[in-house]
Amino acid sequence: MDLNPPPGENYANPRICFFHVLFKAGALAFYILSALFSDSFVIIFVVTVLLAALDFWVVKNVSGRILVGLRWWNEIDDNGESVWKFECLDQESLARMNKKDSWLFWWTLYLTAVVWIFFGIFSLIRFQADYLLVVGVCLTLSIANIVGFTKCRKDAKKQIQQFASQTIASRFSSTLQSAFSVV
Amino acid sequence: MSYNERDTVPLNQSSQSDIDEIENLINYTVQSGPATVLPARPPSPPRASIPVSSSPFIPSNLPPLPQKPAYVPPALPPPSNPNANGQQQLTGFGSPPNTLTEPVWDTVKRDLSRIVSNLKLVVFPNPFREDPGKALRDWDLWGPFFFIVFLGLTLSWSASVKKSEVFAVAFALLATGAVILTLNVLLLGGHIIFFQSLSLLGYCLFPLDVGALICMLKDNVVLKIVVVCVTLAWSSWAAYPFISMAVNPRRKALALYPVLLMYVSVGFLIIAIN
Repeated sequence: MDLNPPPGENYANPRICFFHVLFKAGALAFYILSALFSDSFVIIFVVTVLLAALDFWVVKNVSGRILVGLRWWNEIDDNGESVWKFECLDQESLARMNKKDSWLFWWTLYLTAVVWIFFGIFSLIRFQADYLLVVGVCLTLSIANIVGFTKCRKDAKKQIQQFASQTIASRFSSTLQSAFSVV
Repeated sequence: MSYNERDTVPLNQSSQSDIDEIENLINYTVQSGPATVLPARPPSPPRASIPVSSSPFIPSNLPPLPQKPAYVPPALPPPSNPNANGQQQLTGFGSPPNTLTEPVWDTVKRDLSRIVSNLKLVVFPNPFREDPGKALRDWDLWGPFFFIVFLGLTLSWSASVKKSEVFAVAFALLATGAVILTLNVLLLGGHIIFFQSLSLLGYCLFPLDVGALICMLKDNVVLKIVVVCVTLAWSSWAAYPFISMAVNPRRKALALYPVLLMYVSVGFLIIAIN
């Protein structure tokens, strides 16, 4: 993945992108600033975790669908087994997704997890177990989304490949048929 | 194969609104032959996912369509490996326009109503108690999250010193306690789904929340003990059928004892805070 946004296009969904980034940045910013300025751990914990949870919800339910066309969830079927469902747009719509949107989506997703890991190491070094708790919770939420969407994307790629190979196979066979019919 | 009939589709997205895009998607998939990817499945009914269930795209006014693996497009291999933790199914994406424009408030209301219904299922008497698998089918983790945070906050407010530590300890105790209890049930050979059990243990904290709130408002020791005993019994009664149904009858006590222990210790925490 490249470091710069793909040129030429604008964001197709600027408001969704904004919200996608807003809660992530809000949780990180609140964590950093309040650790510097505030003494009350409870407020830091509750607000940070709340922002992280809101971000999780927004990414999973809104921006994942609109920006990259992927969705994942868990269901419990009638046998009582838990089933993870991964869903993606069909290939044509996936190809039509705005490149800038998806660039932003994936980059911010991975970047926030890296930053939280960084903070986690920081608080480990300082032996602050309670801040480690906050970081742990936020990291769990980020990683859950990353795993979910990455699985979706892999399945989407697999689906595209199989689709393409089936296309090629059927075209090949139709070509053969037409060749034989001519002969 | 009609895959190439879309050669002239403009690739840049920025001029199309979301609704147009979805409408086009539906039109194209309707016009295409069966070999293209179907928008197979209807968006799922408001089922839970982690932690919040429904997305804004679930159509509340569409007729309920059956969900069957038969909808999976023929290019995919059928989901043939049922792992212990579930299968992956790929489907096309079918989302009618009206749920895209569903206001956020509707989604929030739907999720709140799910939390309330889960709470009623777990904590109040209802006919599904004997069949725990069915009862908490639409698990979600928002309810437990709120209850744990609320309990931590209440305990923290009641404490006159070391408020932060009380909160952190309460939260960590409850969260890791729920995880460990679930692992305990699983290791005893029980049949319970991890998130379902987490969700259940979280919802069973609701009576203790109420008890903690009452204890915070009234500072009488005798009253606290009575209230905590009542709410403790209520919590245990709520958790009992789910846990006991999940394991082998001979191991029921082994599975139940840690749950009761955890609730008793939370009860002591509530009484002892001053």
